[in-house]
Amino acid sequence: MRYEVTLDERLVRVELTPDGRFTIDDRAVAAEVREIVRGWLWSVTLDGESHEVTLLGHDPMRVDVNGTEVRVAVVDERAARARGGAPRAGSGRVEIRAPMPGLLKAIHVKEGDAVAKDAPLATLEAMKMENELRAPAAGRVTKIGASAGTKVEGGSVLVVIASE
Amino acid sequence: MTSVLVANRGEIALRIIRACHDLGMRAVAVYSDVDRDALHVRAADAAYPIGRAAPKESYLNAARLIEVAKRAGCDAVHPGYGFLAENADFAQAVAAADLVFIGPPATVQRLLGEKTAARRVASEAGVPLAEGTEPLRDVAAARAAAKRMGYPVLLKPAAGGGGKGMRAVADESEFAAAWRGATGEAMTAFGAPALYVERLVPHARHIEMQILGDARGEVVWLGERDCSIQRRHQKLVEESPAPTVDDELRGRLGVAAVKVAKAVRYTNAGTVEFLVDGDGRFYFLEVNTRLQVEHPVTEMVTGLDLVTLQLRIAGGEPLPFAQGDIVRRGAAIECRVTAEDSFGGFLPAGGIVALVREPAGPGVRVDSALFAGMTVPSEYDPLLAKVIAHGRDRAEAVARMRRALDEMRVAGVPTALPFLRYAMGEPDFLAGQYDTDYVPTHWPPAERGDLPDGAAAAGALAAVLAVRSRTERRAATPTDTAWARAAREDGLR
Repeated sequence: MRYEVTLDERLVRVELTPDGRFTIDDRAVAAEVREIVRGWLWSVTLDGESHEVTLLGHDPMRVDVNGTEVRVAVVDERAARARGGAPRAGSGRVEIRAPMPGLLKAIHVKEGDAVAKDAPLATLEAMKMENELRAPAAGRVTKIGASAGTKVEGGSVLVVIASE
Repeated sequence: MTSVLVANRGEIALRIIRACHDLGMRAVAVYSDVDRDALHVRAADAAYPIGRAAPKESYLNAARLIEVAKRAGCDAVHPGYGFLAENADFAQAVAAADLVFIGPPATVQRLLGEKTAARRVASEAGVPLAEGTEPLRDVAAARAAAKRMGYPVLLKPAAGGGGKGMRAVADESEFAAAWRGATGEAMTAFGAPALYVERLVPHARHIEMQILGDARGEVVWLGERDCSIQRRHQKLVEESPAPTVDDELRGRLGVAAVKVAKAVRYTNAGTVEFLVDGDGRFYFLEVNTRLQVEHPVTEMVTGLDLVTLQLRIAGGEPLPFAQGDIVRRGAAIECRVTAEDSFGGFLPAGGIVALVREPAGPGVRVDSALFAGMTVPSEYDPLLAKVIAHGRDRAEAVARMRRALDEMRVAGVPTALPFLRYAMGEPDFLAGQYDTDYVPTHWPPAERGDLPDGAAAAGALAAVLAVRSRTERRAATPTDTAWARAAREDGLR
């Protein structure tokens, strides 16, 4: 099985062969992988180097490699083919979700509004603070998912943007 | 004094319980509905439920806390920081119930708690202040005052500190919106909307001086901390000594802090905050009449235990040392590991902590309430753990901190770790060249350094295994029924 893994900006191709060996960017590597905590922590020895990888979160996927946090995307080759080649970056539907439960104090945009990157979209009060949620990308507001003055659950969609 | 009610939660509750145990005292914990499993509950000798998660219904419920203290046979109450720590009415109610309040008495808290009153005290004691107004409720009067003193200005809640409800205003066009936001937050945080306007000292460093006073009227200063690295006016990194404070300035800040304290007959631990500008001029800001979050920095440098000293002083003992006996050795730094997304504007985020590894080794201390499996509640401050590093000098302390942060793992919730690790290697921080603008001017970095080849390969391999193991586990647990599918499709419509 072949995978395309993006760590921050960097692309690494990984293959798991049926006999349990690995290739990295089409090069066979001497790797030993130990799953230390099931589903969360791996020790990897690779060409004599010792690395430790911790899964930090799923959505978005983040891992810690030797004390450095990176964003990760894993795509298997069938999915990559089905999508028609190179991953599409920075276009399409962007959901702005409540990072935690709280009181939605205000929504600063309405459907149809054009927004710039970093434009304030909503104010969420939680953990004793007012938190400004900003647009991660420029685009157009296609949906408002909650109304001001209501309590929202962590993870609920507040605003949807069609990014440019 | 033999038995202490710890009226707080999280790492500070655990810190106080440890101090009680070091002195052979009994420690009684309290907990809200969402804190039943917390570490402080398990570490204490006794623990009592005090209500629902919302602070007003638990950790801010003064009557309930005092009732529990009496019922549990306590003879003293330690408020920690935050919640009721600077609430004079609480201190008074504790004393009225024949319990010892571990902190300055209500009379002192009243004199210093209202920030504009504290400024008057400092001014009468001959300590310099930044230009500012009395508390104002009217936006027009406030705007006129801001115009008179000249922008930029700060809006600050008269009733409280900790950076809550504080707003910097660059020019008049921002004034109305900032006023609305700040009064709203002041009302939520302190129950009082009044603000005062203060001239903003640009490129100021936030320096605070730790003091201790006893019932005889003795007051000593222990040393300063630089707390300039902040986001939303709340501290992320603190260190002592402050890189820009020399022995002469340290002495002047210490004397000024003691003057303010003696003017109000201060007892117990406290912190006098100052802004220091680029020319070594300093301005009194406020007094925090409580133990500070960053007190371990001073503990590491002085070798003193501030919390056991608080307990002894509250029990009536005199300070066991004089000003001349205090020795400061080396340098110490504290990093606050909060449940905030470093890459998402430091927005706090709750969640379940899947895995924790805390650093250790020479010169490293961790004050934490973290454990694997805990749910980070959204009702309270997002502080998870404090990592403190001490060294013979600043370079050794920074090196140990960098190593400690590299060792630390917290999985399941976003944290401030990426920012903290970056700062510990960033040239301006290493040179001690930073002020309160540090975070917005340095973070996020323009470029995120690439992982070395071997690390990238290992990360990619493990990421693939993580995805596969998750997919397999999902496939192995058939949770997807026709009903669940139908409900989900309904939700999509």
